[in-house]
Amino acid sequence: MSRRKRSGLPPWLLLLILLLAAGGGWLALRQGGGETSFRTVEDLDPHLYYESANSLRGNTYRIDAEIDASLGNSASKGRLFSVTLKKPVGATPPVILPVLVPPSLGSLTIQKGQHYLMKVKVVDGGLLEVQQAAKP
Amino acid sequence: MKKTFSLLPVLLLGALATAPAETSPQPPQDGGASAIQQTGQQYRQGNTLSGAGDNRLIGRQSATDTDLAGKKALLNTKLNTFIAFFNNPLSGTQFEKFLNAPAETSEAARTYRERISRIMDLLAPGNATKQNQDEAFALLQKASEFESDANLCSTIHDAVYAAATARVQAQQLTDLNQKLENQRRIAEFNNLQAARDRPLDDHPVDKNATAAYNDDRKTEREARMEPTKRELAAVGQTIERNKLQIAGSESQAKFQFQALILQLFVQRRYEHVIIADRFYRALFDDGDQSLESFRRMANDLGYNKDAGQLKLTAKGDPSIAAAAGTGGSAGVGAGVGAGTASSNGGTEGGAFSAEGMQFGIENASVESLMNAVSSGMKTVSKTFRTLSQLDGVANEIIRDVNEGVKVYRYLLERNELEAATAQLVSVWTKGEYLPSVRLLTPGEKRPALRYAQLINRLINASNSGNVDTLAAAVSEMKKQASDFDDTEILAGIQATKVASSMHIAQARVAAAKGDLQTVQSEITRAAGIWPNNPELQGFASDVARMSEQASPQAQALSDFDQLYGQKNYRRIFDEKERYIAAIAQSPDRQARLKEVLSRMQEIETSILRSEEISRRGDPAGAWEGLEITFASYPDDPKLSMMRADLTTRVPDFVNDLRQAREYENKGEYGSSLAWYLRAKGRYPMSDLSRQGIERVVHAILPDAT
Repeated sequence: MSRRKRSGLPPWLLLLILLLAAGGGWLALRQGGGETSFRTVEDLDPHLYYESANSLRGNTYRIDAEIDASLGNSASKGRLFSVTLKKPVGATPPVILPVLVPPSLGSLTIQKGQHYLMKVKVVDGGLLEVQQAAKP
Repeated sequence: MKKTFSLLPVLLLGALATAPAETSPQPPQDGGASAIQQTGQQYRQGNTLSGAGDNRLIGRQSATDTDLAGKKALLNTKLNTFIAFFNNPLSGTQFEKFLNAPAETSEAARTYRERISRIMDLLAPGNATKQNQDEAFALLQKASEFESDANLCSTIHDAVYAAATARVQAQQLTDLNQKLENQRRIAEFNNLQAARDRPLDDHPVDKNATAAYNDDRKTEREARMEPTKRELAAVGQTIERNKLQIAGSESQAKFQFQALILQLFVQRRYEHVIIADRFYRALFDDGDQSLESFRRMANDLGYNKDAGQLKLTAKGDPSIAAAAGTGGSAGVGAGVGAGTASSNGGTEGGAFSAEGMQFGIENASVESLMNAVSSGMKTVSKTFRTLSQLDGVANEIIRDVNEGVKVYRYLLERNELEAATAQLVSVWTKGEYLPSVRLLTPGEKRPALRYAQLINRLINASNSGNVDTLAAAVSEMKKQASDFDDTEILAGIQATKVASSMHIAQARVAAAKGDLQTVQSEITRAAGIWPNNPELQGFASDVARMSEQASPQAQALSDFDQLYGQKNYRRIFDEKERYIAAIAQSPDRQARLKEVLSRMQEIETSILRSEEISRRGDPAGAWEGLEITFASYPDDPKLSMMRADLTTRVPDFVNDLRQAREYENKGEYGSSLAWYLRAKGRYPMSDLSRQGIERVVHAILPDAT
């Protein structure tokens, strides 16, 4: 008689819990940009960018930047900001780069002085288009 | 007393002289000559000739000199004696009148010639009977009725009549003298008878009475002889007086007749000379018809040494002999022209000259005029000793003229116009009034007229001083008259052209030395000699330019134009006082000068401002200020230099901006924006960065708000 009581939660409940956990994780990833540290993305080399941004076209980089100023806002193309890199590599003057936040990231609240980790892609004209952004 | 005037107007038809040959030194043309001398003296003393007035003076004097020299040179191209004949207004006009005159083929003219011929036949040796002489004498009056005779036959008629009257008077006096001789013989007889004593008278009876008797007889004889002596003396005086009168009357008649013959000779009325000469022979029995009366009369006139000589001056071609005298009814003028056998005498002077002459008379007074008349008469009497000589020369000229007319026609047939016309001129000057010349038809004279017109054109071209016109005229002459000798004229033209080119060469040398005055002078000479010299065309603009350089104002304007063309506005700005003064008189340049000064003012202001900013320790701001100005005025050297200097002080900032612009120009707006942002990071006050960012942002987000 006591052997039946040790069998615990039924399997279907355990499976349900696992499914719910997986869905919650997936949702969390969808909402929060997945891995917020973008550890797998290479840092942008400002010198290389300055010298030949066009040659970097199509590449994706990670930048750690502080919002400097808003340069422009277009409903169709997005918002353009100047950002100051937090960790310039050997640059004496502050490295200020322009980044375009596309309309798809319209829900992202960006203000001067905010600190963001951004995953940017070098597009035509050497412009840095933000693909993902997260506060560190 | 000194007078100078042309004799030609007072000389009659034969005076074919005077071409205006310029042989005497030219007097100063105007007051400019002395001014030039003074200017030249100043120049030698080391003072430069910078005034425009100096140039004008030199130019004007040079033009005058060269004009005269050029004309003289062209005239000296020797046209030849024949051309010079046409160049003489008097002779040329007379000859053209002859060429245009119709032939004297009218009935009246034919009748006149027949009568003259008849007179000459009647008076010809062998025919000159008393009856024929009377008939010829009667025909003289009829011949003088014709216009072409010019009443010369009437003059001969009067002279013959006067001579005959003188001879009749002499004959009457001779007859009277014969009667007086008879009277004298009677008176001499009576005187002889009266002188004889009468022995039958009472004789003295004593010694004392004898003396008284003799005295009485002497007194008585003297009383008896007195009437016969008186009568004898009176008859004797009358006879001698009559002899003198006979001799004087004849001498005067001979002189007048001889003078008339000489006058007719000078007038080239050779037929009349022969007629008068034959009448003379009939009237006077001089044997060889000596001109002794004329010579003696000339010698009797004497010469007043105190009165001096009437000086006749002749300027022109010295190869042509000229001597003349004139005045009163017994004046004599003479001249001998080339190729013309001529003489002179009578009351009218004649001069034949194929070369231009100018006559003048000095020391004119009654006494000196008489001296001239005396000298002229003596000269004539020495040339022709007898009327036979005169008669022979007249006949020879008539033959020569008739032959010349035949030669003229022959040359015309061969189309040798120059030689034919020269022949016609020759026969015309020698025997204008002879029938063979008068009978030339207009058709026969027409070629000579055409040639004369060509000659006139040639002379006019020569007088114009235009080498090209003269060359064209010579060419036309050569076409019309194949025998026209143009060698000398063409040589002269060539020499003139070479002279002009030589002056241009001198001008080039002077130009190389910077001697503007000489350049101007030489070019003026060259143009004076040969106005259409092709070398002048190219040199004229150079001369004008060099002349302008003599003026500081013109120099300033020229420099301004040059600097403006080179966009060297800095240089204009640096010498703005000079250009402002010069351009005040040149409105078309004022706008350009204003533009230059305005832009330079902007540049200078920018430079000053940058210097001030730089002094405050803001080299980037200073550079940026210059860079903005430099974009508008990239060619200002001072601005460029200062900009370059500041560039070395803020190289990174400048580099950022240049990179930004470069990417912007390439359309790589992302990179450009990054560089602009970098520049702005270096110099936050940068206007260029801000403007660049705005432009690029607008390019990336055209609809950005």
